Amino acid sequence: MNYPVWEPFMLGGGLVIGIIAILHVFVSHFAVGGGLFLALTERKAYRDNNPALLEYVKSHSKFFVLVVLVFGAVSGVGIWWSIGLVNPEATATLIHVFVWGWAIEWVFFVVEIAAAFIYYYGWDRLDAKTHLRVGWIYFAAAWASLLVINGILTFMLTPGRWLQAQTFAAAYFNPGMFPSLVVRTSVCIALAGVYALITSSAVRDAALRSQVVSYAAKWLLLGTLIIPFGGIWYISALPALAREISMGGAPAVSIFAGLSIFFSALVMAFTYFGPLQRPRQFNLVFAFLIAVLALSTTAGTEWVREAVRKPYIIYGYMYSNSLRLADVPRVRAQGVLKSARWVRHRDLDPRDLQPAGEEIYRVQCASCHTVDGYNSIRRAVRGWSWAMIDYELDHLSSLGGFMPAFAGTEAERQALGAWLTTLNPPPADISIAPEAAAVEIQSQDAIGKGAPQP
Amino acid sequence: MNPVIPGPVPVPLPAPPGLLDFLLVFTFILHMLAMNFLLGGVIILSVSGYLGRRDSRYHELTRRVSRVLPPVAAFTITLGVAPLLFLQLVYGQFFYTSSVLMAWYWLAVVFLVLLGYYGVYWHQLRHDELGPKGAWVMLATAVLFLLVAFIFTQNITAMLHPQDFYPRFMNGQVGKIFGPVPLLNLARLAHFVVAAAAIAGFGIALLSSRWRADSPEFADWARRYGVTWFMGGTLLQFLVGLWFLFSLPAEIRQALVGEKFAVGVLVLGILLALVALLTVAMSLGAASVAVLGTVCAMAVLRHLVRLAYLRPYFDAHSLPVQGQWVVFSIFVALLLAGLATVGWMLYVFYRPAADGRRVSV
Repeated sequence: MNYPVWEPFMLGGGLVIGIIAILHVFVSHFAVGGGLFLALTERKAYRDNNPALLEYVKSHSKFFVLVVLVFGAVSGVGIWWSIGLVNPEATATLIHVFVWGWAIEWVFFVVEIAAAFIYYYGWDRLDAKTHLRVGWIYFAAAWASLLVINGILTFMLTPGRWLQAQTFAAAYFNPGMFPSLVVRTSVCIALAGVYALITSSAVRDAALRSQVVSYAAKWLLLGTLIIPFGGIWYISALPALAREISMGGAPAVSIFAGLSIFFSALVMAFTYFGPLQRPRQFNLVFAFLIAVLALSTTAGTEWVREAVRKPYIIYGYMYSNSLRLADVPRVRAQGVLKSARWVRHRDLDPRDLQPAGEEIYRVQCASCHTVDGYNSIRRAVRGWSWAMIDYELDHLSSLGGFMPAFAGTEAERQALGAWLTTLNPPPADISIAPEAAAVEIQSQDAIGKGAPQP
Repeated sequence: MNPVIPGPVPVPLPAPPGLLDFLLVFTFILHMLAMNFLLGGVIILSVSGYLGRRDSRYHELTRRVSRVLPPVAAFTITLGVAPLLFLQLVYGQFFYTSSVLMAWYWLAVVFLVLLGYYGVYWHQLRHDELGPKGAWVMLATAVLFLLVAFIFTQNITAMLHPQDFYPRFMNGQVGKIFGPVPLLNLARLAHFVVAAAAIAGFGIALLSSRWRADSPEFADWARRYGVTWFMGGTLLQFLVGLWFLFSLPAEIRQALVGEKFAVGVLVLGILLALVALLTVAMSLGAASVAVLGTVCAMAVLRHLVRLAYLRPYFDAHSLPVQGQWVVFSIFVALLLAGLATVGWMLYVFYRPAADGRRVSV
């Protein structure tokens, strides 16, 4: 409403964010868990007086730096870039609420990056004790950055007391914060194992390879075993509608949630019977297979986490289409076209409703739908008559609970319906519907002619 | 017609705009220092890599500087996060709108930075295997980073012209509206790129003092080489800076000239640049202070230019404020603790090892 709407071709904004975010999550959790892995494994190498293991940690740290400091950092910026483009209003709101949280996270980033480089470049310069200490500093800063961002992420789904209190503490210590922290921390441990399986499979010395492979497998299994406990706690903290959607209320979400559980079960089974039981036969291809399964689990879970937040982007405060709940009555009264700033048609032309209808689609629907690509609106209304479309538009919020109610005047709703009807060639018997709608609108004289609202 | 500008977020600012502006400028200076070294560094290494085919000293220089660039790239990105955060907080209505209009280009920044960053690593990790081809890797990386700089100047300038938002929206497709590229933006880009080459040259001169222990002759040469880049860049900057100043719209220039503080900052910046030029051959320490002062003055001036542009449309001081002082204090305390931690790590990293060996980085 407040900002122009960008419609990324075929993908839709949600998927642009999703693709970047899933890849980032897969690397950033490794950035945290991998830090713990480096510190603990280095300590183990010193304690066991195992120089071969120490050599492995060294080579793993190079891989770590290349993956985490480059891809992890840039993809994190990428999420921020994409949310600002797709949902500027929500991003601006989050920044207003959490700017000091992000500033604190930024301090941790600075420490994290300095520590990572000094750890990596310091293998031959620092004594063992100091080097290990730098490793712990890295992990502490990385986990602290997770601690901060986790509270901001859960705020969007469970803003809790903030809706009344509007303070930083109320926003940050929201109901989902601690359960999600448990889930994410265990994901970090599991992903440390996933990546360690990749590097350990490349170790040349057979005895060392077996040792490190089964060691990495234990990390993966331990992390994966804790996730369900945190997950159940997390689900119990969700708002009722979100819980309902996540527990079978919506078929698509159930499928993805099921896939996510299925993939994580596969990860566990493959890890148990593969690297843990038969570390000698383990190889890089197997390691990548586990990594792909783990990535699929991440993708499924993140998708579900996003889906259960519908129809909101900030639960109970702002809808997915960036409309604040508080603004809905105003938009209903004065109309979408007169409330939105970035439209080309401010007035409805009863003889030609489609352009205005398309405009209304862009403002109200395009944050989640595309015309022909992801979550296609053309497919969604295929086979629907104009009357059915109009009825559903009038009852949008009861369509599986995914969508906010249509916010606009009745005439605008009919214009949107008229445009949606043109997306699929209508059956002959109702082809007249849009014109019929126009006549009806004209007779109700529902079209205001106010000045454009800047 | 009134310009179409999104309304401000109906959540109060978490601190007075003066403090947020200060943090915006302060963290921008930190970002500038790292960014200049990175962008200027890859430009200098492309040229040096080419020259290194005939003269092994250039090859040695690219090898040594390439080791420094990955951390510099990491800090350029991370230090850039903070100013952009404060920019979005105070000036989000302008920034988001200009970004969304050019969304595809703006999003491309992420991928260009990612590729450029891996270019920096590739050059470092495969320096000796690449040999003369290293110059091409650096050149490609420089092109990627220059594209990033170009998109940045385009967006950060576009956000200052809210009167153009709606006409551009009406005449284009949201996400693909990039042009036109006025001469002003090219001047601004040139201003940044020339500064980057100068500062990176200065950085190389500073680095050379660390190479003195193991190869004093080379270190002397590298210092002179770095200083040459710095002096050449700074002299050229006097021309480019004038070009930039005179391509600003007359009303903005007049607003600045009419403001004593702005004129003072501009004069101070130029004087400090002159001081740096005069002292760089004798004392890098004195020149460092002058260079830092110039960067600070220019960052402040840049902020004043932004305020002059937006004054007809927006006054941050009219926004409601509800200070979040507890969490702000936590931020400040953690910032100090974080800087102390980084300082300690750098200390243990650079202190001479117990056995007296020193490894140059």
